[in-house]
Amino acid sequence: MKNKIKIERAIHDFTQADLAEKIGVSRQTINAMEKNKYVPSTVLALKIAKLFGKPVEEIFFLDSDD
Amino acid sequence: MKYLLSNKFKKPGWLLFIIGSIAGIYLQLQGFESDQMRTSVISLFHYDSFEKEKNGIIRIIKNDILDELIIILIIIGGLLISFSKEKIEDEFIAKTRLDSLAWSIIVNYSLLLLLTIFIYDMKYFHVLIYNMFTPLLIFIVRFHYVIYKNNRS
Repeated sequence: MKNKIKIERAIHDFTQADLAEKIGVSRQTINAMEKNKYVPSTVLALKIAKLFGKPVEEIFFLDSDD
Repeated sequence: MKYLLSNKFKKPGWLLFIIGSIAGIYLQLQGFESDQMRTSVISLFHYDSFEKEKNGIIRIIKNDILDELIIILIIIGGLLISFSKEKIEDEFIAKTRLDSLAWSIIVNYSLLLLLTIFIYDMKYFHVLIYNMFTPLLIFIVRFHYVIYKNNRS
């Protein structure tokens, strides 16, 4: 699965630490998701989508490997 | 993940683990011989091949307890380090923790298999002594390395 967290973060001018704090996870988790090393749980994906005010599938989408 | 302690147990864990490890290295340099802490202990299923009249289910015997203390320090310290929450314990940390646990069990038993084939006699007894601690040690190193690496990149 791929995501546009980094792009959304730039649009909203959040640092990784800002985003981490707003959704209540560690900065490592944001970093791991942006590097596609970690696929978040549905709960976390929904929280991120809600924070950016977009449907979840505009931020997270399936990769050819999935 | 269930079974985790509060983050405040992590630092005391490191303290116990480091003290135990240093004492363990010291005891090894002494050839696992020590006579500084001889005391009476309860021995269950006691068996002494030289003095068979002392054998029994429950016996009080004299024993140097330095090695027992070191084992207890390292194991309790290692468990506290391994199973205390991180400052922010979230789902990525939980996944890293479980991955590292599986990794350490696989690496530990692969090494043990290899050493079982190639190491014999008293040296193998030493392998078994170290093997009491290596699952925790390998886990601690791997878990913290993955988090450290993710923090930097």
